[in-house]
Amino acid sequence: MAWQWESTVIAMVAFGILYFLLNKYAFGPLFSIMEQRRQLVLEQMNTAESSRKQAEAQMAEQKAALDQARKEAYSIIEQARTTSTKTADDIVQTAKAEATRLKDDALKDIESEKNKAIAALRTEVGGISVKIASKIIEKQIDEQSQEQLVNQYLKEVGSK
Amino acid sequence: MHEFPILQVGPFNIDLSMLIAILVSGIITFVLARLAVRNLSVDNPSKLQNFLEWVIEFVHNLIASAMPLNRVKPFISLGMSLIMFIFISNLLGLPFGIVTEPHHAIPSLGITEEMLHGEEHVALAWWKSPTADISVTAGLAIIVFFIVHILGLRLNRKHYLKHYFQPYPVFFPINLIETVSKPVTLALRLFANIYAGEVLISTILMLGWIGTPFLVAWQGFSIFVGAIQAFLFTMLTMVYISQAAIHDEEHH
Repeated sequence: MAWQWESTVIAMVAFGILYFLLNKYAFGPLFSIMEQRRQLVLEQMNTAESSRKQAEAQMAEQKAALDQARKEAYSIIEQARTTSTKTADDIVQTAKAEATRLKDDALKDIESEKNKAIAALRTEVGGISVKIASKIIEKQIDEQSQEQLVNQYLKEVGSK
Repeated sequence: MHEFPILQVGPFNIDLSMLIAILVSGIITFVLARLAVRNLSVDNPSKLQNFLEWVIEFVHNLIASAMPLNRVKPFISLGMSLIMFIFISNLLGLPFGIVTEPHHAIPSLGITEEMLHGEEHVALAWWKSPTADISVTAGLAIIVFFIVHILGLRLNRKHYLKHYFQPYPVFFPINLIETVSKPVTLALRLFANIYAGEVLISTILMLGWIGTPFLVAWQGFSIFVGAIQAFLFTMLTMVYISQAAIHDEEHH
């Protein structure tokens, strides 16, 4: 085996061309793809980080909202309780007032009826007394006339 | 041993088997890479894309894992090209060989009448690993040598020039020898490993059918060796580049 400088030159040229071609058509695109992947991974990590933060913020927000809602519910229940107590009191008060009013009305009615009855009675009693009086008077008149008659009769008889 | 078909074009001697091998492994490398990036996807990569991305990570780790991807992109491309091309080249000679026996003289391929009528049997090997040729590995090593030193001069001039005189100016010749020995060892290591593998394969083939289990074992091992050598070549290249081009404050 002898050294052949032509072979050396051919090898150098061939390797140079191969390097150029590989660099241009194979490794260049591959490098750019690897760079893109690096970017993609970086981006995705950033996105993951930001979405994690966002999720945390939302979580806190929701927790606050939940607390708020719970507070509101408590206040509503409290309010309802007071309202219901008040309403019940009101109802009782109204009922009491109504009852009193009814009782008063009834008393008034009774009074007026009583007065009416008394008045009626009075009138009746008056009539009856008049009747009695008239009857008595009638009777008295009759007696007098009777007596007169009697007396007249007797006189007539005496005189005879 | 087999002769290689050497085409003589004017003053140049072109080794046809080397040319074929380089073209084939280059095309396979390119097609494989193109297949891997055919349906590129950010979030749903195909298996081949995943594999190629794994290779990128691997080479990235070799050079300087602490450096961002953008700055070392050209180096990674180089490392990827090297590791894929060398690995495929190393495997290229393993599965089969194409050998022709010329029966008449072909002067343009360096086959002469004397060779045909000589004692030795003449055969032409058309198929081999390109990296089993010292000339090819030397070419790769020279490319690496130039890249390393140009990068050193451009990106890190002061420290690059200073390192020749470290720790004392007296050491300059030693540093120079070191610098020269780097590409030489790079080329020789790769060539020797792959060439030895192919030599052993052809030697085992001479055993005939008895050698089949040895052949199977050795081919399996050769795949391993091919992977190791591709990895070593790439890793050393990356180490040299980072030594020369990337200045570390703790270093020197």
